[in-house]
Amino acid sequence: MTTVSRAWSRLTLPGKLIFTLIPLLAALTVGLLVALLLIGPFVWTFLTDNLPLVRFVIAATAVLLMSIPTAFIIIYMEMKIIAQMNLRIGPDRVGPYGSLLSVVHGLKVLVKEDFTPTGADTPVFTLAPVVVYLGAVMSLMVIPFAPGLFGQDFNIGLLYFFAVGGLSVVGLMMAGWSSYNKYSLLGGLRSAAQVISYEIPLTLSVVGLLMLAGTMSLNTIVLNQSGSILDWYIFRQPLGFLIFFIAATAEANRTPFDLTEADSEIVAGFATEYSGMRFGFFFFAEYVGVFIVSAMTVTLFLGGWNAPFDWPWPITVNPDPGSLGILLLILIGVVPVLSTLAFAAPFWLLRSNMPGWQALIIGFVISNLVAVAAVLGWAFISFDWVVGLLWFMLKTYAFVFTFVWMRGTLPRVRIDQLMGFAWKWLLPASLLNLFVTAGALIVLNR
Amino acid sequence: MTTSHEGPRLRQQSQDDPRVMLDIDAGAFEPVPPYPPRTEREAEFYTLGDGEMFLNMGPQHPSTHGVLRIVLKLNGEQVVDLDPVLGYLHRGVEKISENSDYHHIVNQLDPLEYVSALFNEWAYVMAGEKLLDLQVPRRAEYIRVLSSELLRISSHCLFMGWFALDLGGLTPVLWSFIERDEIVEMLGALTGARMLFNYFRFGGVNGDLNHEFMSRLGSWMSRAASHVEANTGLLNENEIFVRRSRGLGVVDRETALRMCMTGPNLRATGVPFDVRRAHPYSVYPELDFDIPTRSEGDSLARYLLRVDEIRQSLRIIDQCLHQMPDGPVMAKIPRKITPRPGRAYAAVESPRGQYAIYMMSDGTDQPFRLRIHDPSFLHLQSVGLLMPGNLVADTMAVMASLDPVMGGVDK
Repeated sequence: MTTVSRAWSRLTLPGKLIFTLIPLLAALTVGLLVALLLIGPFVWTFLTDNLPLVRFVIAATAVLLMSIPTAFIIIYMEMKIIAQMNLRIGPDRVGPYGSLLSVVHGLKVLVKEDFTPTGADTPVFTLAPVVVYLGAVMSLMVIPFAPGLFGQDFNIGLLYFFAVGGLSVVGLMMAGWSSYNKYSLLGGLRSAAQVISYEIPLTLSVVGLLMLAGTMSLNTIVLNQSGSILDWYIFRQPLGFLIFFIAATAEANRTPFDLTEADSEIVAGFATEYSGMRFGFFFFAEYVGVFIVSAMTVTLFLGGWNAPFDWPWPITVNPDPGSLGILLLILIGVVPVLSTLAFAAPFWLLRSNMPGWQALIIGFVISNLVAVAAVLGWAFISFDWVVGLLWFMLKTYAFVFTFVWMRGTLPRVRIDQLMGFAWKWLLPASLLNLFVTAGALIVLNR
Repeated sequence: MTTSHEGPRLRQQSQDDPRVMLDIDAGAFEPVPPYPPRTEREAEFYTLGDGEMFLNMGPQHPSTHGVLRIVLKLNGEQVVDLDPVLGYLHRGVEKISENSDYHHIVNQLDPLEYVSALFNEWAYVMAGEKLLDLQVPRRAEYIRVLSSELLRISSHCLFMGWFALDLGGLTPVLWSFIERDEIVEMLGALTGARMLFNYFRFGGVNGDLNHEFMSRLGSWMSRAASHVEANTGLLNENEIFVRRSRGLGVVDRETALRMCMTGPNLRATGVPFDVRRAHPYSVYPELDFDIPTRSEGDSLARYLLRVDEIRQSLRIIDQCLHQMPDGPVMAKIPRKITPRPGRAYAAVESPRGQYAIYMMSDGTDQPFRLRIHDPSFLHLQSVGLLMPGNLVADTMAVMASLDPVMGGVDK
């Protein structure tokens, strides 16, 4: 034993790590494999018997994982677009055209010091970002991104969306109260008042649409709008669309209703005392909220994943690689090399000081891009869900652009003007919309 | 955190690091001074009513115009009372000037209203010229007027951008800073510095107009009017902006006169008082311009009035360029300036109001006393009258519409 202990004490720290962790990992792997072999069949039968559960787990994981790149993209979009509106450039150093800046911000937020202010209510303080983020991300489950591509198709999907949207209010109030800071308190109370006031016109403006559609299931609502562009509900419920859009801007705490985070008055509102990943959660939750609100507008009023026009000519592509036989093997060997050389040749010929290997690399990259574009095009033509997804994303990001545009242009509304607007203007307008729709339905006997 | 002369009360060991002793009041900062109230007003302010709380918009804040501390007494979201605490930028300029030569003081007075620095120098130089009995050449006077009106436009552009920023609009700041940058580059070509110019001298200005300044000025003047229209067009018709600033911080004539408001803040209440017309100085009697006046007295009126003033300044610049006489730009003055013993008061119309210098000289080459009369300081006194009844969000908007510059307030 003394030999072992003497050898052990002569090891440095990395050595000790290696000699403990690797055997541990090996043991764990072996144990896992044995466990899998033993209980594997039972797990497999369990999963195949409960396919909806598996589907739900996969969907929830996908939604959680998808929300973060979406937030990154929207953050970058906002920085660049507002910069262009301000006649600036915006981020342009970190990646090509500054596109990796959001990723770097995300990493920065992870490594910042994570502290709780003295006097803060620690469990509430810690849970508030979680609640806000969940309230944002859970809504992504019901949004139909493409035909067949949605998390769950509740038949009360719309109600679920509003319910979960109200969850973030609790999180904001928790953040404002537990920070032990008057600025945060003001911000939290303002945000609670704002979100609660605007939930009512938000919900009421959609009831007219519900009467037209006859269902709360978002998938069915989108299917109702398939056909032509005139089937989209925006043409049948224009006032509803307008009210929904305005109320949704207020729900998402975006300018001109962003007084919860009005950084010229109450520094950062409810998030003043938050740093590091906790603040990152609030930050991401806001941008995921922008995405959700845009997606919901598109789903309800603009036809979801429906294309506004059909291709005027029929396109079908039915590749049949098996019929080529041995030619396929030859093509697989020859085509990449040929395309690399073909794309490299112009660069090498026209730029006399470019070394050959650089031109070859450029050719390789371009031929890969062309191949990816070809595959995407084939997927676009052949698969329904690719087309649907593309149209959905285009429309949603058009609305995200509108939100960013409003942030860059409009000043902020005061809290009493905001409440007055909600209660005195939006609520009667949404009721009017409701009555007119109901009356029209009765008169037209639908 | 509490500024107590006994030092913080260390009672509690920190949970995270046992070597650190925590201030027992950590996290419980109340902006109440640690001494008993010295005046009636302090006593009245620092006693909380029912349901009221203090909120400290401290010296570090994204939108106080410099280092200004405001203690608000709030009832929920409504401001009940307000106490501005000044002095965070006090540099002792008046005392330093008592020990400086008359030449040096021109440079020291620049950072007072750093946004519009030439006006600070102008009042001082005029006071000195009264005591030295100097006659400033006409070309120098015209150059003074030209550069000062350019700076007035630049300062009002900054105001426009800042006002919109405090209301939440991110874009107008950057657009008006384009204007400001062009003007400041122009003046940099003329004077050698972009912000703290050190340009005026007793008896004239430091250097004549040069080619670069004239070419920049010419190219800017051709675009100036349309740029101003574009920048204001973003805000004037904006429903949110108008609704937030109309009826906000209303000052009536009597209050304004009682609180010694001058400049655009006074003219927005209907009193057509402009130092350039009331107590004319330099060559303003020869120039033809109007004094815009509005009668509502709210923030929107103050904003629109400053936009009108930009247009009037453009007219003045135009006339200066056409009527510029030839001649020297500096009178003959001795190297060591010793004005006759006496007192002189000189006031100019700065973009913020009436800016004046009261100079007392005792015959030596250092002034005996230099009293700086700054308009922003007086406007801040009236903030306590304008704010109560408004919401917290409006605090910053009213402050921005009064356009204070903390360099001048704290001197």
